[in-house]
Amino acid sequence: MREFAFVRPTNVEQAVELVTGDPDAAYLAGGTTLVDLMKDGVLRPRRVVDIARLPLREVIRTDHAVTVGALTTMEELAAEPVLAERAPVLREALLAGASTQLRNMATIGGNLLQRARCRYFRDPSVRACNKRSPGSGCAAVDESARMHAILGAGESCIALHASDLAVALVALDAVVHLQGTTGTRRVPLTEFYRVPGSTPERENVLEHGQLITAVEIPLPAAGTASGYLKIRDRASYEFALVSAAAVLEIRDGVIHDARMGLGGVGTIPWRAPTAESLLRGARPGTGVFRAAAASAIRDTFTVPGTAFKVALARRTIERALSTVSGGTP
Amino acid sequence: MSFEPPLVRTAVQVNGFERKLEADARLTLLDALRDVIGLTGTKKGCDQGACGACTVLLEGRRVLSCLTLAAQCDGRQVTTIEALAGDDLHPLQAAFIRRDAFQCGFCTSGQIMSAVALLDEGRAGSDDEIREFMSGNLCRCGAYPNIVAAIRDVAGGRNHDA
Amino acid sequence: MTPEPRVIGLGLDRVDGPAKVTGAATYTMDVAVAGLLHAALVRSTFAIGTITSIETAQAAAAPGVVAVFTHHNAPRMKKPSWNLITPPPPVPLQDASVHHYGQYIAMVVAETPQQATAAAALIRVEHKAATASLSLDAPALKARSNPYFLDAKRGDVESALAAADITVDATFSTKANAHNPLGLFSTVAYWEGGRLVVHDSTQNPYLIRDSLAKVFSVSKDKVQVLVPYVGGAFGAGLRLWQHVILTAMAARAVGRPVKTVLTRPQMFTGIGHRPATIQRMRIGALRDGTITAIDHEATSTAAKVANVLYPVTLSTPATYRCDNVRGRDRQVRLDIPSPAHMRGPGEAEGNFALETALDEVAYAIGMDPIDLRMRNYAKVHPQTGLAWSSKALDECYRQGAERFGWADRTPRPRSMRDGHWLVGYGMAGVTYGHFQAKCHASLTVRDDGTVLVRSGATDIGQGTYTVITQVAADGLGLDPANVRFELGDTDLPRAPQAGGSGLATALSNAVRDATVNAIAALLSLASADHASPLHGCSARDVVVAGGRIHRKDDASRSETYGAILTRNGRSELTVQGSSAPSRAETGVLLGSLAVSRMGRAGRRLVEATHAIAPAGAFAAHFVEVRVDPLLGRLRVKRMVSAVDAGQVLNEKLARSQIVGGIVGGIGQALFEEITTDEGSGRVSNATLADYLVPVNADVPDIDVVFVGEPDSDNAVGVKGIGEIGLVGVAAAIGNAVHHATGKRLRSLPFTITELMD
Ligand SMILES: Cc1cc2nc3c(=O)[nH]c(=O)nc-3n(C[C@H](O)[C@H](O)[C@H](O)COP(=O)(O)OP(=O)(O)OC[C@H]3O[C@@H](n4cnc5c(N)ncnc54)[C@H](O)[C@@H]3O)c2cc1C
Ligand code: FES
Ligand code: FES
Repeated sequence: MREFAFVRPTNVEQAVELVTGDPDAAYLAGGTTLVDLMKDGVLRPRRVVDIARLPLREVIRTDHAVTVGALTTMEELAAEPVLAERAPVLREALLAGASTQLRNMATIGGNLLQRARCRYFRDPSVRACNKRSPGSGCAAVDESARMHAILGAGESCIALHASDLAVALVALDAVVHLQGTTGTRRVPLTEFYRVPGSTPERENVLEHGQLITAVEIPLPAAGTASGYLKIRDRASYEFALVSAAAVLEIRDGVIHDARMGLGGVGTIPWRAPTAESLLRGARPGTGVFRAAAASAIRDTFTVPGTAFKVALARRTIERALSTVSGGTP
Repeated sequence: MSFEPPLVRTAVQVNGFERKLEADARLTLLDALRDVIGLTGTKKGCDQGACGACTVLLEGRRVLSCLTLAAQCDGRQVTTIEALAGDDLHPLQAAFIRRDAFQCGFCTSGQIMSAVALLDEGRAGSDDEIREFMSGNLCRCGAYPNIVAAIRDVAGGRNHDA
Repeated sequence: MTPEPRVIGLGLDRVDGPAKVTGAATYTMDVAVAGLLHAALVRSTFAIGTITSIETAQAAAAPGVVAVFTHHNAPRMKKPSWNLITPPPPVPLQDASVHHYGQYIAMVVAETPQQATAAAALIRVEHKAATASLSLDAPALKARSNPYFLDAKRGDVESALAAADITVDATFSTKANAHNPLGLFSTVAYWEGGRLVVHDSTQNPYLIRDSLAKVFSVSKDKVQVLVPYVGGAFGAGLRLWQHVILTAMAARAVGRPVKTVLTRPQMFTGIGHRPATIQRMRIGALRDGTITAIDHEATSTAAKVANVLYPVTLSTPATYRCDNVRGRDRQVRLDIPSPAHMRGPGEAEGNFALETALDEVAYAIGMDPIDLRMRNYAKVHPQTGLAWSSKALDECYRQGAERFGWADRTPRPRSMRDGHWLVGYGMAGVTYGHFQAKCHASLTVRDDGTVLVRSGATDIGQGTYTVITQVAADGLGLDPANVRFELGDTDLPRAPQAGGSGLATALSNAVRDATVNAIAALLSLASADHASPLHGCSARDVVVAGGRIHRKDDASRSETYGAILTRNGRSELTVQGSSAPSRAETGVLLGSLAVSRMGRAGRRLVEATHAIAPAGAFAAHFVEVRVDPLLGRLRVKRMVSAVDAGQVLNEKLARSQIVGGIVGGIGQALFEEITTDEGSGRVSNATLADYLVPVNADVPDIDVVFVGEPDSDNAVGVKGIGEIGLVGVAAAIGNAVHHATGKRLRSLPFTITELMD
């Protein structure tokens, strides 16, 4: 790890100014991504700005939404009673991620901004990584990639966005609250991330120094069923090979509203709008679930190690849909 | 090489005692405990947040000390394995011995600290629940079934008392 | 006098338990000495070639840095002695050549670990890489046949295969695995005058001592290796590794103590790994279940830098009664870090092929897998025809099957189901080789009635501290609380490595011998003493119990050890004990080879010169799995293992050993695989988040039962069980997967891709 100065600002404005004014500064929340990558020599800030104690830890509930301070930890949010009742998908996604120790440290804001787990990105001794050093190429495409993306991916980058939480949040149409030196802004999470294209180093719309202050999570209408299915080799403590967040509002035997988020497959937390429109208005059943699954996993970019994800993702979606629809009262 | 950041002053409550550090900002809580404060009961199995050997309690919650900077802990309470036993072993420590819940013993401090938190979290309701919520602590010697048994013993005892 | 219950076998708590649960046990990485410096190692990022330049000025000038070593300035050192089982690494930093990815090419020593690591990142290396051979399928590779001269055969395999009613001919593959003990391997070294003290994470302290003495040209008694606790090793600690040499080198060069703690990624390249194999197994059988031919051929990966004895087919000829058997090993030398023995080396891989193929035979002829194994049961050691020193594998099958509920199994694949999940039962048997080496111990009886036993063995978690305490207490009729056992120090009597499932046998017999010698020595004091109730007694006339020596003819006449010592004006008495493998050990190995070369004549020769074949442990594993065929998920639901371990020394700890081995086997079967990049040989999953080992949620309840009798080949009756728990698990799981799904998986680890319908 390179040497750095450690500072702890006392308010949000001060924090934002500190980081905005210094290209070598970085926010430190739970540290589970930042400290890890600093040890690996991938992130090399000269100034680390500890924001963990800023007053961004409130969870505000209304009838229609929960607004979560960005520094709320994953465990704290998972314990919110309203989730179990109104958005089990979110609670399940939170608890399916990492381990309790990590969830006690990791913050909601940090989770959304966690960096790729790609071992080529994470090892500076590997020369070719467009995300780490733009223009250098992508070693993962040529080597043994398994935990990588098949959607939104291309020759320039196949790094996966590995967050479970973000998959549930895109499905729930969460909105991110940002604060910069020039003011505040709200960005729907579905518009927050950027697929790599030719600039894999740009992962989202955040400008340097902008702070995530909160995440606003609209709560599905009462009677909506939801769930998160995460497929991995181990039974626990592993990133997803594939995951699916399904939110279904079924009225009188017809799917009134459907929202799907996919994990383990996308360079960004993946929303599946075509699948959703197929589902809307249909009666729940194997046929429509299968069609939805097929339409969600299309235009894939695979390497030999990730080819299996195409079928696995479709089946995971199908299973998630049938489980969630079976769970409707 | 002109960049020489100032040392960071940190005061941490470790097992009830205040420890003042004036240290390199890079110092993790784990290295502070082991190399500076001299409490080597907390172990380093990966230094990458992947094994759980470094688990300690921070403000009563289990965290990984290898991914926590010492500087982040200013004014905070840290509890390590060294603080558990008084005149007698902590019930979990005794249960770990009785159930032979370790072999090499390297993961044990982390397992026990994690289990202390697990009981507080109320997540020892069934064997499957224990297994899931203890999965952040690897044991390469494979003592898992005995770890589950030890925790079950103590959790069962608690439920009886309650 | 009522005989006391034996202390041997009792499931006592670990004597090192309190130290381990309170964090007080000091592992190598915990060692702190005054003036300690910290080292960080730089590794090559290519497989093979030459370093053309290495720029260290920036690192040397970085804060806190005391020294930087590269091949330009590292002291010249001598080569350690070569040996077949645990060959040494090349001496590091002696020239510009690189032989594998991850080879150490520089070392930074600094005041703090953070400074050392940061400075190491500043070193710039330029190199010229050559084309490396990295895997079994690398083009233009020549496999070497019979590399260990252990290939064995009997009968005529080809004719028997041709005449068989059915044949199975299948190819199996197993991947490279990493030991990944949870404790990062560490070394602390310092020189005091001309003496070198080394704390090291090792299973083999005497090898480290002897090798370092050679490397640094000092006599062996000038090197002391200390290792009271090891954070796991699983075979990775059987060898001398380069970081150990470097740490001692640096400590000498800078004149201060130096500590090196490997990083987790370095653990994947610096301390060995289980090599990959490709195996072909051909089995011929008659419709009635008689196996008429077994032909096992295995090719495994080896390193150019060190040639480790690594037979994969060794146990196959010793496993079933079958007239025509051939076991052939082949080896491919690659530009990779050295493989090393890892829990059940070769056995775990070879057994997977054999016991899976046997399941295929069972299905081909429609016979129950246990019946098939019983039909071909080897009542005598099948290669030599000698009687086993003990064998209760039949009991393993019987009791294991009963506890498991094997009878409930409906043999047809895909015939059992639970919701989304297909249910499968599978089993496998294990015949493990015997190993024992020379061992010494000392035993001191004190006038306060306590006993101190000492031997330079290591306890890497297998429970040596505890079981040896029990053996000594048992031999002397003492409460184990009065016995203390010290180990992990090369200044103590010499013990063999904790490996090859051989330490418990060697050490328990050495300590047993020491207890016999102690009683004899005490008795000779008492016997000559008119004031002693034991006056005139010889060893034949007495028994020990309750900390006293009693006359057999009159148990009321007895004396404590302390009283004997005190009356003779002594505060303590020290005796030595030792053990050595019986002649039968080498007999069987040579006998097997004699039969291979000379056929019947060889067999007659063995029978004329030997009586028994010393047996290792035997086991049968039973597994229930669940497979979700759409999503490819596989879960081990429950396991029963029946083990013939001879005399169990501590029921509780022995069970833990087996369970631990099984968990390793679950890892081998379901998850473990080192992946490397083409070209550079870089390990692309060198962290514990990427290289998966089982977590708590992957491991079900495991029922272990011990069967059988004390072994007749050693006085205590012990058989080693450090490895047998792991061996056979992969085949049992694979067989259960076949039962669940109808799919025959012949490649480890089993992956979601293969499991998906
Ligand atoms: C072994 C391991 C296993 C894991 N498994 C999973 C898993 O299964 N599923 C999963 O979803 N995640 C998993 N994670 C990832 C983990 O959830 C993330 O590391 C964590 O959520 C990041 O949050 P943090 O608060 O620690 O972020 P930090 O590390 O503090 O910050 C992450 C990044 O975001 C920036 N940042 C942080 N907060 C803000 C903010 N409010 N505004 C602007 N920028 C900010 C930081 O500068 C940094 O660049 C795992 C991590 C590890 C180490
Ligand atoms: S050392 Fe912290 S998780 Fe492994
Ligand atoms: S006891 Fe060795 S790692 Fe758990």
